[in-house]
Amino acid sequence: MTEDTVSHFEIGDTLAMRCGNTLTASFVPGGSKLALSAYRPVKWNTPDAPSESAGEEPVLIYMAQETTLYTEPLLRSLLAETNATFATLQVLGQGPKGDAKKTAEYIKISRTYRSIIRCCLEKLEHAKQSPEIQENEAIKQRHADAILTFYAIECLWHLFEILYMQQQHNQLIVTQLLEWTRFHYPNTEDAATDLLLMAEEASECESYWDTLKALIMLGQLDVTRAILSQHRKFNQTAFQTADLVLKSMPVYQDGYAMQKFCSQWEYWHVDLERKLAAHVFATEPELELLMQLVSGSNEHWDAALMKSHDWYEFLPGYLLFTRPACKPFELRIAASNWINRWSGLRPNWEMTQLSRMVMQLMEHDIKLFIYESQKLGDSHWFATHLIDLIYHTGHLKSYFDQQHIDLPSLRFSMIFDYGSYLMTSHNLWQLGIDYLDCCKQEGLAAIELLLPRIPLKSERQAFKIIAMAKERGLVNVEQSICKVLSKRAYSDQRYGNALEWAMRSKDVLLVTAIADFILKHYSNTGVMLCPDVITSIGARMFVSPRLVFLSKYFEFYELYRQRDFLSGAELLINLLASKITPDYFWPSLLIDALPLLESEDPKIFSKETIAILQHLEMELVPLIERNKLNTAKFNNQSSKTVFSDYRVENVEEILDLMRLACARNLSRAMIIENTALAM
Amino acid sequence: MSTTVGAHYISEKISQVRWLPEKLTQSERFVTGTWDMDTNFVRVWRLYANPYAENVEHTPRCNDKMAIEGDVTGIEFINDDTFAVGCNDGRLSLFNVHRAVEEDQIRRTAHSERLHYYKCSQANAPCTGISVYGTDIATVGEDGRLNVLSANNLRQVKRTIEADSMSLLATSFVNQNQVVTANRMGVIRLFDVRTASDGQPTISFMAASQDSKSSNFVSAMVTHPMQQHILICGSEEGSITVWDMRHLNFPASYLSAHKTSITDIGFHRQDPSKLFTAAEGGEMWMWSDNKHLIDASQTDSSSAWLAGDRLRSLVNVDGILTNIRKAINSFDVHGSRLICGSDSEAVYIINDV
Repeated sequence: MTEDTVSHFEIGDTLAMRCGNTLTASFVPGGSKLALSAYRPVKWNTPDAPSESAGEEPVLIYMAQETTLYTEPLLRSLLAETNATFATLQVLGQGPKGDAKKTAEYIKISRTYRSIIRCCLEKLEHAKQSPEIQENEAIKQRHADAILTFYAIECLWHLFEILYMQQQHNQLIVTQLLEWTRFHYPNTEDAATDLLLMAEEASECESYWDTLKALIMLGQLDVTRAILSQHRKFNQTAFQTADLVLKSMPVYQDGYAMQKFCSQWEYWHVDLERKLAAHVFATEPELELLMQLVSGSNEHWDAALMKSHDWYEFLPGYLLFTRPACKPFELRIAASNWINRWSGLRPNWEMTQLSRMVMQLMEHDIKLFIYESQKLGDSHWFATHLIDLIYHTGHLKSYFDQQHIDLPSLRFSMIFDYGSYLMTSHNLWQLGIDYLDCCKQEGLAAIELLLPRIPLKSERQAFKIIAMAKERGLVNVEQSICKVLSKRAYSDQRYGNALEWAMRSKDVLLVTAIADFILKHYSNTGVMLCPDVITSIGARMFVSPRLVFLSKYFEFYELYRQRDFLSGAELLINLLASKITPDYFWPSLLIDALPLLESEDPKIFSKETIAILQHLEMELVPLIERNKLNTAKFNNQSSKTVFSDYRVENVEEILDLMRLACARNLSRAMIIENTALAM
Repeated sequence: MSTTVGAHYISEKISQVRWLPEKLTQSERFVTGTWDMDTNFVRVWRLYANPYAENVEHTPRCNDKMAIEGDVTGIEFINDDTFAVGCNDGRLSLFNVHRAVEEDQIRRTAHSERLHYYKCSQANAPCTGISVYGTDIATVGEDGRLNVLSANNLRQVKRTIEADSMSLLATSFVNQNQVVTANRMGVIRLFDVRTASDGQPTISFMAASQDSKSSNFVSAMVTHPMQQHILICGSEEGSITVWDMRHLNFPASYLSAHKTSITDIGFHRQDPSKLFTAAEGGEMWMWSDNKHLIDASQTDSSSAWLAGDRLRSLVNVDGILTNIRKAINSFDVHGSRLICGSDSEAVYIINDV
């Protein structure tokens, strides 16, 4: 992202505006942070004085801490685990599309997502009891928020799975919807369990009939029958008949003819109404009420509805007793009728986000649903994963086409945003990168921007980031991280470390600069820095010619120290001839030759001596001349000269010494060489 | 014998994991250390039988935790209930585990002075690796320093050697007096850590590499538990180099193994015929001696690991974990159970290895 594409916008702050300032801001790329800047026209003649409002009105700055649900450590496992599932789904999606076996695979994925949420909810519930959380109000609140949000997500995902994930012929959804409400309203079931445990005493319990009513409305007939059979008067006709009615209710089974089922059910229904009309249950008013509910009597349902928690709680139950063969597309009408009825009963009712989203799902308003799901405060976790799943299953493709929604690009942008979010917060970069990997070039570009922004705390972490960059072929990132570490080590005077990082970065300039520093340091002080590193450079020296020189010179230095003068002399001559000697190092190099030339038994042959002499005259003398010229020109900038060490003043003297030494060695060498020849 | 893997997400990036030593029984407890978290913890976990799930035998539950100053970079046990923890802030801690019937507890019993720091800026340098021999603990850090301490007195450092002018990444005791260190260039040095010695490396050698023009760090080292002259190193390029410490002129064997850098390497604690390697790319391999191929009549020098080119045919490689996608940072084997800690914020418990 370049500087121009980041748009600036104005912030309407009253204080700033009154003083003639304009407060502008722009988004820092890759995060949810703003960069603020105040602007006020200042000209050359504007007096440099405190403004009239200075010190009078306090400037209030609120540093908003970024808070998300994921500050809660327990939720990290949710992110990490869904990341793995997400990757599985991507692999699955690469295969051929649209076969029936795959639909089953997709449902499995959807269930995995849900089980991850449920597992996480369980962990949260478990952790809630620990004293650590009970004592801290803020953490307690955070926990409650997390539970609320993810509970809603699970509820919605489950419903979505029932309504849109399966594509079976003759699909009947009522039983599944009953499962759904059963899971999300567990209170009644708990009460029912208590009643069952009480056995015969249950019928005396105050809540006995209320619980039964709720059970019927949730469509849990088997449990209802079990509890009814514990009633003391169960042997009486009314109870026996009721039990029979519940038992004989037709349930659709796979492979049944739909028509046949409908007529059977119709028959059962009419039979029940006839029984009610004949006052078969009149001796037991409570039981009669139950049967009224079973028959779907509007008047009784309305009365019972007053007790329900949310509009959709008893809808599946009602459908069971009125339209057991309801299909997903019929649900739409049933749901809107139901919601009208429910809100008619409670004029003051305000819809919560969850119940609104349930309604949108039931009314097949996916577009709005997706819109709302992005407001859940889970940093788009839900929307991203759900849309990705929708995209892969392909079931809703025609719907999105009709609505003119470009599903692939919607998925793309959701994944991109979510991935960038993870990359920038809570040390989740290792998870975020997987999402950005799905985003082709844009993803790669984002990775390239975001990877170097991860704060480097240790080298081990740096290696992990470098490995990530390497895997994706992001040479720039790799190099810039190495360079940063190299500079960090350099400013900390850890030159060996800096040199190695520089070599890893393969940046010629940086390597040259550090090698230069080491050479200069040597020529100034005679101390070789980090010899252990230079010894083991090996073939890596070819990054930069200066580094080649450094390691070769070091080799000479070592030979010299080990008093292996002959090999040393050879290496020195090679170095002199190599043309990679930096200017500032010429004097050092030639002075190194001095003792070898002056040695009693000659170490350097006549030919080599001539070569040295030639270098002396051809390289060093012009250098000194140039140097003199420069010093003459910029008398005040003598520090800029090539020789800044102590040898500068005596350079002429050194030159003479060198010439003399060469001459002496030449004569000695020639005598010995020629004698040897003669012999 | 079928291997089963259980993955348990624990909401933390795990840098180190170790089983608690048990002499006669299968260990049921382990400790973990984290890295790159807002607060890093050392935790002790215990396996509980899981009555619900079919495939997963055990579920770990955290018994106790202690916050620590930085990333945990090394955990090693000194005896049955004391372990040393190396930390990113350049200090070493000793922890004690109290095994209880209900909830195990850990507490910090000792905390060393700053062992690793940069000379110029005086800032803390991360400790990068620790190794334990008896009660001696060796630590290395990014400042290139090698410290040897005694677990009996962390306050006093027995020996400090300026081992390298580059970051050291791994260390290992060869015997009581000798320690090897590995730096970022792949140079391995052998030091005599006795107080009388001069602190100069007695010997140094370089890990083999496919591409001699790029650096190849050694990230993990281990010596053979029975034949301590065998030193095995895992490197950046994913290869394994084996050295015979008696002949250091050239590596005894070289194996290209993983595609990504090796993060941890280690022998089975009770069965030295098995070697394990973990890699950055999320792989966990087991190398086992092919027993029938090794002639029993030969002497100890015939260890498969020193066989050079023939090594490939003498060991079997099994992928225990593959496709984790995130780095496996550490592992430990006890009895028939292997545990791995990973950047995917999960521990993997593998039964019947």
